[in-house]
Amino acid sequence: MDLTLILFIVLAVVAILTALGMLASRSAIYAALFLVLNFATVAIFYLMLGAPFIAMAQVTVYAGAIMVLFLFVIMLLGAEKLPKGEVLPWQRPLAIGLAAVLLAEAGYLLFQRLHITAGLANPGAEVNAPEAIQAMALSLFNQYLLPFEVTSVLLLVAMVGVIVLTKKEKGES
Amino acid sequence: MTAFVPSNIFAILPEILLLTLALLVLILDPFWKEASRHLNLGWLTAGGLLLTLAVSLVLARPSAPALVFGGMLRYDWLGFAFKMFFLFSAAITSLFMMDVERLGRRAEAYMLLLAATLGMSLMASAADLVMLYLAIETTSIPLYILAGFLTGDEKSTESGFKYLLFGALTSTVMLYGFSLIYGFSGKTGLYELAASFPTFSLLALGVLFMVLIGLAFKVSLFPFHFWAPDVYEGAPTPVAGFLSTASKAAGFAVILRLFMVVFPSISTDWSLILAILATLTMTVGNLIALAQKNIKRMLAYSSIAHAGYAMIGVVAFSQLGAASAVFYLIAYILTNLAAFGIVAAVGRVTGSDDLKAYYGLSRRAPTLALMMMVAFLSLAGMPPFGGFVAKVFVFAAAVEQGWVWLAVVGVLNSIIGLYYYMIVLKYVYLYRMENEDEEKHPIPISRPYAIALTILSIGIILVGVLFGPWFGLASSSAANLF
Amino acid sequence: MIPLAYYLAISAILFTLGALGVLIRRNPLIIFMSVELMLNAANLAFVAFARAYDVLAGQIFVFFVIAVAAAEVAVGLALIVVIFRTKHSIDVDLMNSLKG
Repeated sequence: MDLTLILFIVLAVVAILTALGMLASRSAIYAALFLVLNFATVAIFYLMLGAPFIAMAQVTVYAGAIMVLFLFVIMLLGAEKLPKGEVLPWQRPLAIGLAAVLLAEAGYLLFQRLHITAGLANPGAEVNAPEAIQAMALSLFNQYLLPFEVTSVLLLVAMVGVIVLTKKEKGES
Repeated sequence: MTAFVPSNIFAILPEILLLTLALLVLILDPFWKEASRHLNLGWLTAGGLLLTLAVSLVLARPSAPALVFGGMLRYDWLGFAFKMFFLFSAAITSLFMMDVERLGRRAEAYMLLLAATLGMSLMASAADLVMLYLAIETTSIPLYILAGFLTGDEKSTESGFKYLLFGALTSTVMLYGFSLIYGFSGKTGLYELAASFPTFSLLALGVLFMVLIGLAFKVSLFPFHFWAPDVYEGAPTPVAGFLSTASKAAGFAVILRLFMVVFPSISTDWSLILAILATLTMTVGNLIALAQKNIKRMLAYSSIAHAGYAMIGVVAFSQLGAASAVFYLIAYILTNLAAFGIVAAVGRVTGSDDLKAYYGLSRRAPTLALMMMVAFLSLAGMPPFGGFVAKVFVFAAAVEQGWVWLAVVGVLNSIIGLYYYMIVLKYVYLYRMENEDEEKHPIPISRPYAIALTILSIGIILVGVLFGPWFGLASSSAANLF
Repeated sequence: MIPLAYYLAISAILFTLGALGVLIRRNPLIIFMSVELMLNAANLAFVAFARAYDVLAGQIFVFFVIAVAAAEVAVGLALIVVIFRTKHSIDVDLMNSLKG
């Protein structure tokens, strides 16, 4: 067993445990923190898969910005403690059943095509980080120029939307 | 791959103009006086959209279909025709928005409407999964905000949040489907993907199903329809009208392109699945609509049923089928916009969306009642209105491809539909207001409503009587798919 | 050598757990976090496939998904704040002003 496989297994266990932790936790703060840890683990997976730029974006945008936003809102609303008996009793078996079906379906779909997935090259072996980022930037500003510009519209919309929604109108108490 | 060729600019001319208009609305807003703000905003948006429509019709008509912008978009008649529909419905919606309290005076509302329209335009011509996903989200996110725009109103914010939650969930499932498509082909271009799904496989079907979830949500196909009544009821009425027409048509544009271009090899399988879903959608929508007491909820269920009728054209999987689906959408956009416009006009005065508020409407506002009759008879599929011709084409396409049972189901459903549309017309024409003199409670229509509703009524009749050119447009867009 | 299938298995498990979270939790914040978990699972699959084919498209896709997620979360949280302001609670079961 080589070292990367051990690393992978450790990370995989952490990723699944933190996801479970988020699902089960009674406090919204803990749930958010579990999710941050999960995102960080996924970021390491990205590094192992030779995607340094995505790994960095994952840490700064996802684990950083998005989850901090979540924590802000939880604190702002004072919603950190969730009421007891939060899980609906009749929904649970149904949900677990559905999840099992989904997992089985996904598993079947994935493993049916295992022959194309024989194995990936060793992580990071031939990935040159600056070059990888350069290649990404080049295709982002050539082939994917239009979607890139559309993203700017999307972010403007989000900005305008958040201001509209949370700003109190004149005369409103 | 060369990404940018100057002549490509024409492929995204409507989008560029839309973005310019959106920014113009935001920039000019602070310079206007409070009293005339809603007039300026509404007329600027509607006028700008019509100008965009005219300029695009003159300059940006596609010739031979071509992939542009690094394969992100396909410059063809299908996308172009849908873009024109979106521009038109956005212009009408902005006229409806002007006189709505706490919506008509906010420049942001118009900007979000324009941004959503931009997203839809890109949805209609997207030829790459990356572009498609981004376009769908650019459409959805402004619409989430617009649905929840009335922040003081519990119903509106709840409606926005429900829409966002279901939208985010279904689009995530769709994204997972996209990742599997990419995983099994290594490509993201829709026109390269067909080669990767050459024969039937369970895998292709599973992936298709995941993608269908996201799109079924957009067009409110059973069993992903349950959000529609809640969201339409809570959202500002003009926004609900926009959601039920343009947003739904955008979903259909994607379904047409995706299914016919990427998955033609398994068309017999998805046809059957879609046929069953269409049957359920029509039946569930119509049956629940029968029991509604709130006109917005009734129209929501009716619009669910209409998604089922339009789906019949997709099921047929033929050029006639696709053309009939596009034609159905033309008639449906005109009709349903008119229906929601009337509800907005009445609701503004009576302050209620209850069916009871429509008792004796024919005496309170004869013109409005007449327009309502046109719209509802067209929804019910009565000649000589657009809805009738559209239904005939869709059923004919189904029969041509051997889907006789589906056409029969469609006809039976039209009869159920006729019943509840007639009930509303009965309230409008035969019932009287309780203990009140209708003459003393007139419903004044403001000028933007009058203009928009007149255009729509004429359109409904025009599509029903002179359907040749419209069907020609639908046919040439469908021809680009095969 | 780590087989691609391992990454895909992790991705499938995370996606399922996210879906489970959406179904069994009632707090909108947690439901929303579960949706983010599902998005992450899809992203992981994209990056893994990008590696397998040595085509960048998958990574580019993830870049855009992250941007979309940021916009979506901002809008969603704003709506949650607005709802909390009027109701002083964000329990999904209390969201019942819309009914047929």
